[in-house]
Amino acid sequence: MRATATGPGRILIAVYGIFALSASARAGVQIAERFDEAPLAYALSAVAGFVYILATVGLAGSGPGFRRLAWFAVSFELLGVLLVGAFTAFVPGDFPHDTVWSWFGRGYGFIPLVLPFVGIWWLRRTGRSG
Amino acid sequence: MIGALVLVIMVALSATALFGLVTTAMNRPPGPVHRVAVGICTALVVVQAAVAAYQVLVGGVTLPEQTTFLIYLVVAICVPPIALQFATAEPTRWGGAVIAVGTIGTLVAVLRLQGLWVPGA
Repeated sequence: MRATATGPGRILIAVYGIFALSASARAGVQIAERFDEAPLAYALSAVAGFVYILATVGLAGSGPGFRRLAWFAVSFELLGVLLVGAFTAFVPGDFPHDTVWSWFGRGYGFIPLVLPFVGIWWLRRTGRSG
Repeated sequence: MIGALVLVIMVALSATALFGLVTTAMNRPPGPVHRVAVGICTALVVVQAAVAAYQVLVGGVTLPEQTTFLIYLVVAICVPPIALQFATAEPTRWGGAVIAVGTIGTLVAVLRLQGLWVPGA
């Protein structure tokens, strides 16, 4: 087992950290200023921000507890971006307000779609024993 | 917001990001040049934030998404120093790439700020 917060893993943590910061900040503004306009989308924004925070913490920490946290957050993120992405792409109109995961993260250069795959790859790679 | 300053900031952030990636490619850990570069970027962003915040909070400029604008100002100031700290905490070749991620993230924030700057709209 190798710690996730070493070597190139630190680049991944930096990307997750920036997403944690920007997604949470965006959700905070949406909820504080206009939650009534699209409660579901904005609640989802907050969930996404929180999941990015968990992933950042999980990857930056060391030990089995943090590794489990990272696995949970990254899997949730993958599920979230795929479900929300598919929903916004194929059911137009029902999701008027953009979230990080709308259209598979198009508003963020599709990084939200790529990130969980990189995260899972890194967790698997560092998780090998010996 | 000052148009010319935004341009200088974008050049500084891009140059720092590029330098970080080059040192990663050359297998060099982050050093004093990285610190100075990030310091210059942060100073420029702070000047811009001070000017913009003054215009919005005191100068009477109204923006359609004022809260978002102010939050992006704060984010743009915080990210480069945090990235530098995280990059130098483990002095390996990857530090430069971490700085690149931070400065590119800040660059995106600055572009968003530019897009949100529609006075009086």
